[in-house]
Amino acid sequence: MAATAVHASGGLADHIHPEPQGFVRKYVFSIDHKIIGIQYMITAFLFMILGGMLAELIRVQLMKASGGLMTPETYNEVYSIHGSTMVWLVIIPLLTGGFGNLIFPVQIGARDVAFPWLNMLSFWIFPVAGLMLYASFLMGAPTAGWTEYPPMSLQGQAGTSMWAAAIFLIGVSSTMTGINFLVTILKMRAPGMTYTRMPLFVWGQFVTAPLLMIATTALGAALAALFVQRQFGVAFFDPARGGSPLLWQHMFWFYSHPAVYIMILPAFGMISEILPTFSRKPIFGYKMIAFSSCAIAILGFMVWAHHMFTSGLAPALQLPFMVLTMLIAIPTGVKIFSWVATLWGGVIHMTTSMMFAIGFLATFTLGGITGVFLAAVPFDLHAHGTYFIVAHLHYVLVGGSLMGILAGLFYWYPKMTGRLMNETLGKWAFWLFFIGFNGTFLPMHWLGMWGQPRRVAMYDPQFQGWNQVASWFSFVMTAALILVLINALWSMRSGKRSGHNPWNARTLEWQIPSPMPYYNFKHVPSVFAAPYDFAEPLPYRGLEEELTGAPPPVPAAH
Amino acid sequence: MPENRDPVVHLDRQFWIVTAVLAVLAALSILFWIWAPITGIMPEAVDKAQQIDALFRFLAATGTALWIFICGYVLYFALAFRRRAGTPENAVGIQIHDNNKLEFWWTVVPTVFVVLMAIFSIRIWYGIEIAPSNTLVVEAIGHQWYYTFRYPNVNGEVKEMHLPLGQPVTLNVTAADVIHSFWIPAMRLKQDMVPGLINTMEFTPTRPGKYEIICTEFCGVNHGLMHSGTEENPAYVYIDQPAQYAAWYARTEREQAHASNAIAAPASARLKLAGGDPKAGAQIFATKCSACHAVGPFDQRIVGPGLKGVLYDPAHPQLVDGDKATPENVAKIIQNGYKGSMGQMPNQTSNALSNKDIVNLVAYLKTLR
Repeated sequence: MAATAVHASGGLADHIHPEPQGFVRKYVFSIDHKIIGIQYMITAFLFMILGGMLAELIRVQLMKASGGLMTPETYNEVYSIHGSTMVWLVIIPLLTGGFGNLIFPVQIGARDVAFPWLNMLSFWIFPVAGLMLYASFLMGAPTAGWTEYPPMSLQGQAGTSMWAAAIFLIGVSSTMTGINFLVTILKMRAPGMTYTRMPLFVWGQFVTAPLLMIATTALGAALAALFVQRQFGVAFFDPARGGSPLLWQHMFWFYSHPAVYIMILPAFGMISEILPTFSRKPIFGYKMIAFSSCAIAILGFMVWAHHMFTSGLAPALQLPFMVLTMLIAIPTGVKIFSWVATLWGGVIHMTTSMMFAIGFLATFTLGGITGVFLAAVPFDLHAHGTYFIVAHLHYVLVGGSLMGILAGLFYWYPKMTGRLMNETLGKWAFWLFFIGFNGTFLPMHWLGMWGQPRRVAMYDPQFQGWNQVASWFSFVMTAALILVLINALWSMRSGKRSGHNPWNARTLEWQIPSPMPYYNFKHVPSVFAAPYDFAEPLPYRGLEEELTGAPPPVPAAH
Repeated sequence: MPENRDPVVHLDRQFWIVTAVLAVLAALSILFWIWAPITGIMPEAVDKAQQIDALFRFLAATGTALWIFICGYVLYFALAFRRRAGTPENAVGIQIHDNNKLEFWWTVVPTVFVVLMAIFSIRIWYGIEIAPSNTLVVEAIGHQWYYTFRYPNVNGEVKEMHLPLGQPVTLNVTAADVIHSFWIPAMRLKQDMVPGLINTMEFTPTRPGKYEIICTEFCGVNHGLMHSGTEENPAYVYIDQPAQYAAWYARTEREQAHASNAIAAPASARLKLAGGDPKAGAQIFATKCSACHAVGPFDQRIVGPGLKGVLYDPAHPQLVDGDKATPENVAKIIQNGYKGSMGQMPNQTSNALSNKDIVNLVAYLKTLR
């Protein structure tokens, strides 16, 4: 208890805000990281419904080689907004603002993030930017894909400028979240929560935060330049007036490649929590998993131009970008091997969350392997810009990030609601999702290899058969996601009560009541080991009163 | 430290049996990729294609074998170690934290594979990037939405690309408007066509035939049609026997003798409109414009609006692009083409209009009151 006493004398963690009472301050303009996390999730899942509808429009269009449903103009708008939505309004907010906010401050024993007001501001920018993105449909949405390469995006309709402004705002929100999370993890860990005792989900956020801070600024600069050229004619990207179209590509990918890791490192963290919990075993190779995340983040900044092997990149640059990209396979491989080894010798509880985590191992690994193929310049010269890329990126972002998100949703749902999601429905959803996902995206590998370019509203009729297969399976996948949605809504009122620790998990969030109380902890605990020794007593002191009727902590006088 | 307390691990017979089965499956997958009839689906039209296919076989074999091992172990562990009925609620797994030897090897072995992959890739990449000597230099230009080609000593641009078998080629690619891409699946090669930048591909054709060119960089509404699938935009490369090629080349050189070598004036260049001939303009209008534009009031649309009184209509003081209805601005639309809420019109190059033609056309439109 000594450590707690020291801390109570005015450390950061004990700067307590009084609990707000009114509805607006409690649930709308809340500064509580848990409410903000849930707000992020609800908003992101709403945008996911929109983005998913756009995805199905794409698949229906492509059931006919001549393009059955929409004009090419409309189709181009649809896939551009689909990509922008899923990257910026769904995956990144869910993994950082959503699950990050909800879980990691509790996991390090903090009462909130370092800057709660900034956190609220980060969140409220997000739905505004999202609505701006969708408002671009009214002005003529962007058509050049989520990458919006100029000069094509300079020819784009008026909404392209709106798109740039919306993504810029999302970037501001991301940057603030990155600063907030980084400072929180650096400064607000409970006593004894050393770096090597942090849960691996915290490591995921810890490594992602600097990526959000550093990379997003490059995107902001690129978007500002695009906006200025479109609105005021400053020729950043016009070769006739001394600009360069490749300038955009460099700046865009300097952000968007690290963004790939922003979209996967937190999911790695989730998997690293879920696998040990349901295997009742310590995570295998804790230090290597944490270290490999750092290696991936650092290397992630040095590989952006592998998106530009066919763009006219100097040969002297192709070589280092190829080799550095291939190197990322090594830390990623170490992680995957460690997860597989975690399963060995476990007592595996096959919950829905665990099934999604295991599904992640199969599908993400495939996406990672095709990533190494694409790193090889000679192969990329063939596959770049085709459906092979579409397959690869969806294996990483859906088979990786979204699988992780779904595993995390089933896992942490009780911490938000105090109830469990329905397991039977959940397992149905898993199998439908797994089959639907692979059926949708696996054929795209050979479609691309055989000659179907991406971003086409109509295509060579010889590819129609496999496109129809992909479309039919995509309906199965959508059905699975609808099932998850129904499950989440139904369980909110009618799910089985979970108690504080339904999975018998060992990280700090499971040692306090569900849903989590406003102050998280009545007393900030102290920590004396990593949380994965399932045969040992819990490595915390000071939690004795958390589940009792003892009074909550008293706010500091203002 | 917890590591010191880790129990000693013994892998049982079952584990090794599963490992052997996975090894067999992995070996079969490697054999599959060595055998896979890639050329039956996509012929290899140039020397580089064979090398790239060899690299692909290596990548695919390694990748598939690795994937089989990972998924195989995941599936096996998930089944073998699943919690069985009657296992107490508080039962725990084998409490191991790590194993330095195992982690060393599963870092080193993939590193070796990555190094091999890099060496293999670099060798092929070097062959692709380093130009052979004595090459035929051809230029390909991407437009919205077709390709044109330029040959040494041939005036103007031609719509077909012919290459002689066995002759090393340097292909320079660029674009006239937005970024396109030049991909011939049968060559396994692609370069983006970037305005203001010349990208280069080097290869030697090794198989005669007709191969389609595909655009893989989004370039506007008809991006999906920018391959051989459409009649108006034949995008093919023909690899000919040297004699056939020589005949084609001689014929083209003759046909193009009077073609202008100057690429159409840059879009923003203003034309001097003085001295146009309305009669010549009327003729051009009849052959080149009347399919889409009527000589009637604005509302009499065929594809585009009727053009009678286009310069004088008080109800439409602005042109479709929002500019004031002046002769200069009309000329600008004819030069650049138009795309917007009224539909779209091809530009000067696509309509094969010379600057003189445009001057005459404007003079003719002036007479339509």
